[in-house]
Amino acid sequence: MEKSKILIIDDDPDLRRALKIRLRANNYETVQASDGYSAISVAQKEQPNLIILDLGLPAGDGFVVLERLQNSDTLSNIPVIVLTARDPQSNEQKTLQAGAAAFFQKPADNNELLDVIRATLPGTWPGTALPS
Amino acid sequence: MNSTGTINTSHTHVLLIEDNPGDADLVRLRLIEGDSGVNVSSVNRLADGLASMAKEPPSVVLLDLNLPDSHGADTFRKVLEQAPGVPVVILSGQDDEVLAVKALHQGVQDYLVKGDITSNHLERAMRYAIERQALTRSLEMSRQQQLEFKNQFLSHVSHELRTPLTCIHQFVTILLDGLAGDINPEQRYHLGTVLNSVHQLRAMIRDLLEATRAESGKIRIEPRCIAIGDLIKQAASMMSATAKEKQVALEIGLDPRIPSVYADPDRVLQVLINLIDNGIKFTPSGGTVLVKACLAEADPSMVYVSVADTGRGIGPEAKALIFERLYQDPNSIDNRCAGLGLGLFISKELVELHGGRIWVASEIANGSTFSFTLPLYSLAKLLFPVITYEGQLRDAIVLVKVELTPLSNPPRTNWKDVCRQSLHTLHRCVYLDKDLVLPVMRNTDSNETFFVVASVDMERSEVMMKRIREQLEAGPGFRTAGVLKVSRSDVPLPSTGDSKSLKELVQTVAERITETVVLSLLSKPDPKVQTDA
Repeated sequence: MEKSKILIIDDDPDLRRALKIRLRANNYETVQASDGYSAISVAQKEQPNLIILDLGLPAGDGFVVLERLQNSDTLSNIPVIVLTARDPQSNEQKTLQAGAAAFFQKPADNNELLDVIRATLPGTWPGTALPS
Repeated sequence: MNSTGTINTSHTHVLLIEDNPGDADLVRLRLIEGDSGVNVSSVNRLADGLASMAKEPPSVVLLDLNLPDSHGADTFRKVLEQAPGVPVVILSGQDDEVLAVKALHQGVQDYLVKGDITSNHLERAMRYAIERQALTRSLEMSRQQQLEFKNQFLSHVSHELRTPLTCIHQFVTILLDGLAGDINPEQRYHLGTVLNSVHQLRAMIRDLLEATRAESGKIRIEPRCIAIGDLIKQAASMMSATAKEKQVALEIGLDPRIPSVYADPDRVLQVLINLIDNGIKFTPSGGTVLVKACLAEADPSMVYVSVADTGRGIGPEAKALIFERLYQDPNSIDNRCAGLGLGLFISKELVELHGGRIWVASEIANGSTFSFTLPLYSLAKLLFPVITYEGQLRDAIVLVKVELTPLSNPPRTNWKDVCRQSLHTLHRCVYLDKDLVLPVMRNTDSNETFFVVASVDMERSEVMMKRIREQLEAGPGFRTAGVLKVSRSDVPLPSTGDSKSLKELVQTVAERITETVVLSLLSKPDPKVQTDA
């Protein structure tokens, strides 16, 4: 079975690198984007199974990205997990309303994040082959 | 007064509130003598004065305290309440000069003793009153601006601090989890210390933002009916690792009869964890932290929660200041106990937002007991603002039931479980129609039910039911795999004729709603219920 592909959208290269190491170790494939503009084209080209999205981004912040994803025929079904340094009080409900599947404030607990990734990925457990 | 806040006599409008015609004439005469070009309107009753101020706020009010419809301190309090921005100068007699001096402390700008008024006197008092009032206003404005600036700054800082902290957290856990190769036990130990510090920093950043919010009144709570015992158990289990590490026993004592409380579970958990964490911090190994919840006879409308430790205790000086922002007991600071000194301040704010209070009892070397109260859940109390209007029951009250049934629902068999669940649902899920803030319904494998109490008649309730349905179906996570049923039932109102107090009437309605909810959850078909589906 193919590995699930996760798109990491964050403008901090160090954090993208860290997430890549963490996700690969859990048997996910990763692709990356560093701003809101390229995020959409990368998503269209790569068709990831899940997206991890930062809110503070250059060239269209996370909310703009969420809106574009929701309005796209080919991307609106991809679950989005928001991972941001912004505070939950003024952003959590807003992102969920905008279509995100989950909200995490940085720094997030790794196990919790991985659990939610597993739960939101449509029908796939990494490393386990589904009977054909 | 012009825009720079200085007096501009050609536009100065004086409102004279004085019932003695002789005194009123005298003041008018002094104003004319001064040739200050002011225009004066005069009234002799407070009610007329207040009405005139509401219509057109004057530049300054000259106020006699003893009027036909108001006396003494009440008079200036009402004027200040009506127009807090308008400067007030009191015209006092010899007999109420003491009161006039007191009034200065409560927002009145100046006073003149009637016998001694000269036109110079009067004009200067008015000018200064107007100037001082403008100054006070601009001070208040700049205070607000500074507070807002501080909030924005702290919110920005805490955001910026989180980004590098996240990076440290990520790479430390990558190393600890062996994702970058094997590490030896000593390296693991050192990295564990780094990770602990990351967690401490994270908590401090959170408290910093939370305290700023508390200070500017921006913390919101979402109270619900909750079982305080369950929350205490949850908090204790979350803190058990910390207690074990410090070799402090963490114990729970719950009175099984405690009823539900009306509180925000996340916020109460935050307070509990804070108090338990403090207790563990200041208790030496081998000691005990005991968390209790009970009812107290002194106040039957509250539940008492306490966290007692066998630690070093707090001296009387520290006790008085311990809930202040940034306070730290100078005797307690060592590296293991360091923090920002915000935890108890935030806890106090949170408890008070719930309508409770928090305090500490302690003696040096004899441990400390932090206690707080939370209000009991009462449906009648919640219903009161929704179903009453101007001291009377509203005309019609409707109970709307919202159910989401998954398609593959196992049959409910155990009657005992059904009863227990129905009461649980009642406590958790009665929402009022004020803002129609509904819980999020997600498709799970069990039934979900809640009720909305609305003060609308049957006709308007149909519109509301439609709105409820639309709102839920548009909600995140709502999939149409289950069956959503929205139904309603008229709540029979008690007759208002038989001299019952409003409180008793609301209580009766609350009991009827409870009865209807329980009956409906026990799945007895009610012929009066109408469904929109």
